[in-house]
Amino acid sequence: MINIVAINLLAIIRDRVFHGILVVATLFLFIPSVSSLSMRQVTELSITLSLSLLSFILLLLSISLGATSLWKDIERRYTYSVLSLPLNRSAFLVGKFAAVTLFLVLATLVMGGAACLMVWISSGIYPSERPVVWVNLIACIGADVLKYTMLIAYAFLFSTLSTSFFLPIFGTISVYLAGNATQQAYDYVHSAAAKTLSPVVKQAASFLYYLLPNFSAFDLKVNAIYGIPLSPQAVLLPVVYCCIYTALLILAATAIFSRSEMK
Amino acid sequence: MKPTAGMRKLYIVLPLLVASYLVVVFALADYMKNKPLLEKLGYIPSVATMRVLAADHKQFVASTLMLKVLMYYGSLVDKGPDNLHVPADYPAMSRSIDATLKLDPYNQDGYYFAQAILPWDVGKAEIANGFLEYGMNYRTWDWTLPFYAGFNYAYFLKDYANAARLYRRAAEISGNNMFMSLAGRYMQRSGKTEMAIAYLDMMAKGARQESLKKTLGTRRDAFLQVLKIEKARDAYQQKNGKLPATLDDLVHAGLLRGMPRDPYGGKFFLRSDGSVSSTSGFSFVGDKK
Repeated sequence: MINIVAINLLAIIRDRVFHGILVVATLFLFIPSVSSLSMRQVTELSITLSLSLLSFILLLLSISLGATSLWKDIERRYTYSVLSLPLNRSAFLVGKFAAVTLFLVLATLVMGGAACLMVWISSGIYPSERPVVWVNLIACIGADVLKYTMLIAYAFLFSTLSTSFFLPIFGTISVYLAGNATQQAYDYVHSAAAKTLSPVVKQAASFLYYLLPNFSAFDLKVNAIYGIPLSPQAVLLPVVYCCIYTALLILAATAIFSRSEMK
Repeated sequence: MKPTAGMRKLYIVLPLLVASYLVVVFALADYMKNKPLLEKLGYIPSVATMRVLAADHKQFVASTLMLKVLMYYGSLVDKGPDNLHVPADYPAMSRSIDATLKLDPYNQDGYYFAQAILPWDVGKAEIANGFLEYGMNYRTWDWTLPFYAGFNYAYFLKDYANAARLYRRAAEISGNNMFMSLAGRYMQRSGKTEMAIAYLDMMAKGARQESLKKTLGTRRDAFLQVLKIEKARDAYQQKNGKLPATLDDLVHAGLLRGMPRDPYGGKFFLRSDGSVSSTSGFSFVGDKK
């Protein structure tokens, strides 16, 4: 199993994904100067920009690596030779998922370091009225990793459902958008403004709310940017939620992958 | 090597394409530079749509909208020969600020800019206060929001009860009792101008945007002139037992050295109740009163 993870991780690195990230990550260098355009909240703006850029790169990584790694192997016909080896399909899929997730964590460590450095520089040049709460900043970056781990799991699930390129890519993007909107939709449907909605719609909205991932729970940006206190629940619950949800998705993906026919 | 037919074609097509590109790119740059300012803020989608599409980048989208407004405002101030003369698209600015604050209710720039522009240039103190009171639910540590709103209530809306309530809140949050004494000074007539100068000084402190600094500076200069006239008026009244009819009376009495210049380009005059006003209404938009 460790071998599968290591081989896949090396393959991702050999594909020069890291070089690609570095090109986009040069944008981090511009954050202090762009932040200085703010009138009253330079440090806050630098945190906003750093976190958004990091989250955006992680999104691109999750979609590109998560949705293409399985598809690419099948397309290149690597899968057939690998699967003829004495290892089961579930281990192959789980190993691949672990490799992509591990790469995501490594990339986050590097870029998270760059983000913190930029925030530190900005807060040194134009100190904020409110000191930067570094714990919140790190918690926010950690929550992003969890969120994108779930998204990668979805990408893998879609990859097992369809051998084409489109379902994994567009399916994952749709899940990302829907996952960020479920909380708002749920809040709206159960607010006074939606009194006229039929009970069926409300029930359907609730059902989707519990079924789809709730990415809003992983959005700790306000706490990181404005130093608003974080409760232990706000950190612990998403961690447990992510672990269980991801396990379920990967379980479903391995079940489908083990049964799918490969020509 | 003899050039082939395909290469010969390339020799003709490539320079032609490069030349056309150069013509178009400069024309485009020129067009963009002279594009009417009012088009620049442009259309923004509804807040509900933006909330969904922004996903976990709400604060980023909010900051981007705010920076767009700031750059638009900055370009207006820079375009005028010495100050703001181009009619600004205030409704579009107000819409953008509204969207910014709905996406990120903690955005300090949004409140600061709303306060710097809306009550003064557009005469919309109620709208500014709507933003500020909304923000107080979120930025609970920020004394500037009740301070600005209190100022608006007292100075623009003449609602002293609400002003006192908000100044008390600013004092509580900041631990600075100066706000309470400031509120008291409102009740005097000439105290109002001094108060406005103190307020503008406080707003300009730490204002890092050149355009905004310029706007606040101009406003402060205008109020310094008003204060000068008010002091001369009070001296005249004390000496003659009546209010001067015009500013010329003050100049003739030797209480004013020449007619003070309104930095907004208007002319100062005395109202029948003795208060000092200007044909400019203290904004480049002109007197709307």
